[in-house]
Amino acid sequence: MMDEREDRLDEWVRDAARDYNAPPPAPRAEMWEAIQAGRRAAPRPLSPFRTPLRYAIGIAALLALGIAIGRITLPSRTEAPAASPTTTAQTPTQPVPDQPTLTATPNPGSRSPAPSSGDVRERSEVAALFATGDHLTQVETFLTEFGTRPPATDFAGQAQDLLTNTRLLLDSKRVADLRTRRLLEDLELVLAQIATLNPRQRSQDLDLIADGLAQSHLRTRLRNAIPAGSAIRL
Amino acid sequence: MEPTSLVARVLAGDQDAERELYDSHVDRVYRLVYRMVGDGELAADYTQDTFIRAFDRLATFRGEAALSTWITAIAISVVYNGQRKVKRLRAREVDLEHADPVAAPAREADPDLKRKLAAAIEGLPVGYRTVFLMHDVEGYTHLEIGSALGIQEGTSKAQLSRARAKLRQQLAEYAGDLAS
Repeated sequence: MMDEREDRLDEWVRDAARDYNAPPPAPRAEMWEAIQAGRRAAPRPLSPFRTPLRYAIGIAALLALGIAIGRITLPSRTEAPAASPTTTAQTPTQPVPDQPTLTATPNPGSRSPAPSSGDVRERSEVAALFATGDHLTQVETFLTEFGTRPPATDFAGQAQDLLTNTRLLLDSKRVADLRTRRLLEDLELVLAQIATLNPRQRSQDLDLIADGLAQSHLRTRLRNAIPAGSAIRL
Repeated sequence: MEPTSLVARVLAGDQDAERELYDSHVDRVYRLVYRMVGDGELAADYTQDTFIRAFDRLATFRGEAALSTWITAIAISVVYNGQRKVKRLRAREVDLEHADPVAAPAREADPDLKRKLAAAIEGLPVGYRTVFLMHDVEGYTHLEIGSALGIQEGTSKAQLSRARAKLRQQLAEYAGDLAS
């Protein structure tokens, strides 16, 4: 008796629900035009076969950036050996008033005049900013793909590469902005989860990751953190 | 035409094939998206976004699921992401309304049964609501729903059963009239 009533109610609900948000005919032509326009405006995606190469280039670029930052921030060390004979030969303990001091001595053998510390800091900060923007763009692309591709797709390798870059940036003192560091820390967690997905509990883990992404508003924070244009490349 | 050969033609840059693929799937995608959001402008935006993404990522389609299911999965993801933004905007609007009690007088229970049903569907958890709309309203199979949402077929069945139970519960006061 009760089942019968439930069945009848279910049937009524199914029928009545057809009027719920009843869709009008799809505006095919208008949407097609908008799609064409949208695709023309968007950059062409890379072939999936080139994806590993893209990440390899990304890692190489980050390493090159790290080396560049290291060289820029330590210019005085490279100049010290060339300058020392001219000063230490005179009086090692007391500087001669007419002689320039070690730090101020222009070295004829050096490549160029050392940039001021303010310039150096500014340059390395800009470089770090570019590297961070580039990395966040890659992570956003990855997370979008992660959310839309079939659950069976293997994302562990890509997640591992991005995780490495995230940790490199977190280790860099040049990424000083607190909000960016918090975002990178949250990304580190999610990427670590994806990189270590357990194949036997895959669906449970995927649910947890999806919940984590939603609760921390990671995608939105990522989009907000990426500079306009989001196509920064070193 | 076989979906795989259509995909191959699109990937080879055949513009007619792109249009053919769009024409084959757009109605189904738009219908589902419209059911989920109930707004023509948003539905069109989400449908466009779905196809832009689908064309951009078509090279990653490996035929593990039907092409229609693959596109549906993209559409649902686009809707979920888009609706999160819309919800946040609406939440801000609600906050403003709460700040000014004169602006939004509370309505009493709506006597219109269909409106009551619509409110009950809106009130379902998003997962239940999606499964209910896909299965009971748009006629997707549990297999298709499972593939599109990345869940097991059994989970889809369980969610549908819970959705129906919640709707029955919401409409309990009208059950006597409906059953007679």
